[in-house]
Order: sequence, then C-alpha cells, then structure tokens
Amino acid sequence: MNVIEIKNLTKMYGKVRGIEDVSFNVEEGEIFGFIGPNGAGKSTTIRTLLSLIYPTSGRATIFGKDIITAAPEIKKDIGYLPSEVFYYDNMKVMDLLKYSASFYKKDCTKRIKELADIMELDLTKKIDDLSLGNKKKVGIVQGLLHEPKLIILDEPTSGLDPLMQQKFFDLLEIENKKGATILFSSHILSEVQRLCDRVAIIKDGRIVTVEKISTLKENTYKKFKVETNSVIDKNFFNIDGVNQLEQDGGSVSFLFRGNINSIMKKIAEIEIANLWVEEPDLEEIFMHYYEKEE
Amino acid sequence: MNLFKREMKANRKSLIIWSIGVVFMVAAGMGKYSSLEGTGQSMNALMADMPKSLQAIMGTGSLDLSTPIGYFGVLFLYLAVMAAIHAAMLGSNIIAKEERDKTVEFLLVKPVSRTRMITSKLIAALVNILIFNAVTFASSVGMVRKYAEGEDVTGDITLLMIGMFILQLIFLVIGTAIAAIYKNAKKATSLATGILLFLFILSIAIDLNEKLDGLKFLTPFKYYDAKLVLEEGGFEPLYLTLSALLLLGLTIVTYVFYRKRDMNV
Repeated sequence: MNVIEIKNLTKMYGKVRGIEDVSFNVEEGEIFGFIGPNGAGKSTTIRTLLSLIYPTSGRATIFGKDIITAAPEIKKDIGYLPSEVFYYDNMKVMDLLKYSASFYKKDCTKRIKELADIMELDLTKKIDDLSLGNKKKVGIVQGLLHEPKLIILDEPTSGLDPLMQQKFFDLLEIENKKGATILFSSHILSEVQRLCDRVAIIKDGRIVTVEKISTLKENTYKKFKVETNSVIDKNFFNIDGVNQLEQDGGSVSFLFRGNINSIMKKIAEIEIANLWVEEPDLEEIFMHYYEKEE
Repeated sequence: MNLFKREMKANRKSLIIWSIGVVFMVAAGMGKYSSLEGTGQSMNALMADMPKSLQAIMGTGSLDLSTPIGYFGVLFLYLAVMAAIHAAMLGSNIIAKEERDKTVEFLLVKPVSRTRMITSKLIAALVNILIFNAVTFASSVGMVRKYAEGEDVTGDITLLMIGMFILQLIFLVIGTAIAAIYKNAKKATSLATGILLFLFILSIAIDLNEKLDGLKFLTPFKYYDAKLVLEEGGFEPLYLTLSALLLLGLTIVTYVFYRKRDMNV
C-alpha cells in the first residue's frame, strides 16, 4: 500500500518555479529518502504535502486521502520535523510539548518523558534559552510524541552533534520497525544511504530518478586516488569502468563504476604509497544522472 | 479550546497594559473636568467662540462641556481611538504573528483546519476587546459619577460603550482581514493601523469641512460619534446596518482568504 502518492504535482510561485510535475509514491513501512541540493524543491514538496501551501496543478494523497480536503484528518497521524525549528519563545519546553500534545486526542505524557530521556532534553528550560541543537531536539520530541504513522523530516540533522544524530537515527529505526513510514529529506547523501530503502532525487524542481539505494550504489562512481612510489604507466588503470583518468607524477586519480573487486585486484598488483576511496558527493551523483539523460 | 487558551495567555500582558492605559486615560481626562466644573457656562461660551476647525479637532462640536457627560463625550473620542488601535493591532497580530514568528509550520501540521484556527483566534480576540471595553466602561462610570452629583449617567455611558464595542469589532476584523489577505506578516499591523489613522483623520476632516459630509459613511468613527449618540439617545439604523455589513464582509474575507492562501514559511 502506498502511504504517499504524488501525481504530477506542480507548484509555481507566480512565475517562479517551485516544483514541476513531481510524481512518486512512498510505500507503507519504508524509509524513503528525498534528496537534492538546496533550492531543488524538497521543502516545497513537503510543504505542499502538509497543505501549508497549495499546488498549482496535480494532486497527492496521504493514507489514500486527498491532502487538501482531508488535511486535518490526515495530520492526526503525521509527525513533522521542519528544517528550521521555530517555537513560541516565552514557553517552557514542557509547556510547548503539552500544547503540541493537546492537539491529539491521546495522553502523550509518558511518551514525552521517554523521548526526552533518549534525546537528553531538559524539559524545564525555556525555549528561548536553548541552543540550536537543543531546539532541534524539542522538534524531534514534538514530532514523535503522538506516535505518528507517517514521519516527515525536512533536513532533520542540521544542528545535531554526531552522537545525537546517531540516537535520533536509532529512534527512527525503532519507529520504523513499529510500523511507521518515514519520508526523509536531505542534501547529504550519506545519511540517506544509511537509513533509507529508496530515494527520490530532485533537481531544479523535477524528479531525476526514484531508485533503490542498493541500485543507486551499484550505479554510482567511486572516486579513487592512488599514490605510488614509482611512476606507473598511464594506461595501467585504464580498464572497464574507469573514467576521468588523470595522472600527476606519482598520483593517479579516476572515477570507477562496476565490480569493486576488479579494481582492487588491479591496485594490489602495484606497490602503492597511499590510497583514497571516496563516495561521490551529491553533485557527482547528479552529474551521473545528467549524463544518463543526455 | 487549547488554541483559545494559548491566545488568551499570549495576549494577557498586552491586555493588562492597554487596560491600565485606558483607566489612566479616563482618570486623567475626567480629572481635568474638576478644573472646568467651576467655570459653568463660560466654558461653553469660550468653546463656541473658537473657530470651527479648532472645535472639530478637539471633538467638542455641540457637546455641552459644562455637564460631566458632555465633557465625557469629548473624552470618548480619544477612548474610541485608543480602543480601535488596540482592536486593529490585536486583529492583525493574532493572525499574522504565526507567520511572522514562523510558528505556523508548527500549528498547521497539527490536526486543525485553518477555519478552526481562525475561529479560535477570533473568539480569543473577541474576549480581549470585551475585557478592554468592560474596563473602559467601569472606569468611565466610576469617574463620571464622581462629578455627576447623583445624576444618572450609566445609561449614556452604556450607550457610548456599546458604540465603542461595535467600533472595536469593526477594527478587529479590518485587522484580521488585512492579515489574512496580505502575505507580508510584518507589514500587516502597520497597514491596519495606517488605515485606522486615515479613517480617523477623515472623520475630523468631515467635521472641518461641510462639503465632505457625504463621506461620513466611509469612516466608522462617524457612525458612533458621541454627539450623535448622546443627542439621539441611540444609534442610527443606517449606521448599524453599515456596521453589520462591514463586520460580515470582513469576517468572510478573513476566512476565505486565509483558507485559500499559501502560508509564508
């Protein structure tokens, strides 16, 4: 079953493009990544799904219900964490969370305590006095306290230290195992890779591809840089799957796509001083998809 | 209910400050009457000798300044302006602040419709202006009675306060309607108070220049003029009808535009 179904969704801000003809589905129980650079339309899509803004054309459903006409009903089961967290400043953390909980017809007090413990959040502080990271934690607790069936996260990790990020991801995985579907938007590929089953890549307001992470990984390049003790033949690494081969004295760099073993064997044949293998960054993934399109 | 409570709490401090302000205004204004009291009719004669423009600006007109209630009628103009400013600011702010403070992203992802959100906010605003009105009423009755020497003024003041309440309602929905239409939340309040000042100046201009008399239907300040209310002992049906139409129209505008509009996040 699809929890989110988006069909030809377009949002124009006057003549300025927001998103164009966006279509994808998120299935029940999956963690779905939504990645793209800043300004690509991630937040626009999410805000349209949450009916904060209305589509110019196209439609979308959540839990099989229309996002506009059934908005209040749908939102009973949605937890949302915005990229930037803004709250009523003169409230205490606990007051805000209670206010947040008061919109849902269930008792969330126990859950608030639980989540605050996990995220190490002080409930007695004033929101005014919190650091960016701690405000983010308030956002996380606030988004999860009613045990939503669909969790929507818009660049959720900014401001969290790596330790907290890990706790947060663990939390998400637990929620996911309990049955929650997660839509996770980010511009950082690595965090999406770790968590998600599938991703949609958006660029300039359009969906470039919707792919399984595993497929995406197989299809993407890895960046290799090899430093050798002696200068080697330029064509030594020129095997199937190697691209953009460059040599600068004792160091060789190239992009590789294919079976990782074939290139490792090749490297093992020579004496090397140092080796770097890097995941391509997002831009490079995009480059890959642009090349494919052309 | 939670939204209503939240709004009552958020506006509590401002309401207290405004209430203290209006009590002070009534007390200080009526305090001046004691110095006038002894002069009797000579004050009226003096005012009548003044150029008409000056009378208009001071808002005296045909009011009998030698009686406490006539004097209060002059003061009422300023109380009404104060109440209108409070209402307009409250109205525009209560809607616009969610976008200005970016809390709209918090609120509208909760299971609340925009209609319910506006209704809760309007009810909270209504209670706020009612309290402001009640404070003005109580302090006015208290102060005017002090000088009225047993004369019953409560009826007249009640009438004036009902007029002021309708005025507050009109400016409240002017505020909410502007905030609902206008995307720039920061400017909504300035625009609402700007319109208010324009309408107020227009009402004075009408007093100054008889040729402008036809414009009196344009400014609500003219509908509940103390002179008119005290002389007639009631309200003009035409003005009441106009008020009702304005209230209805602007309330509909508030709902319709806010429901349709993209949130500025």
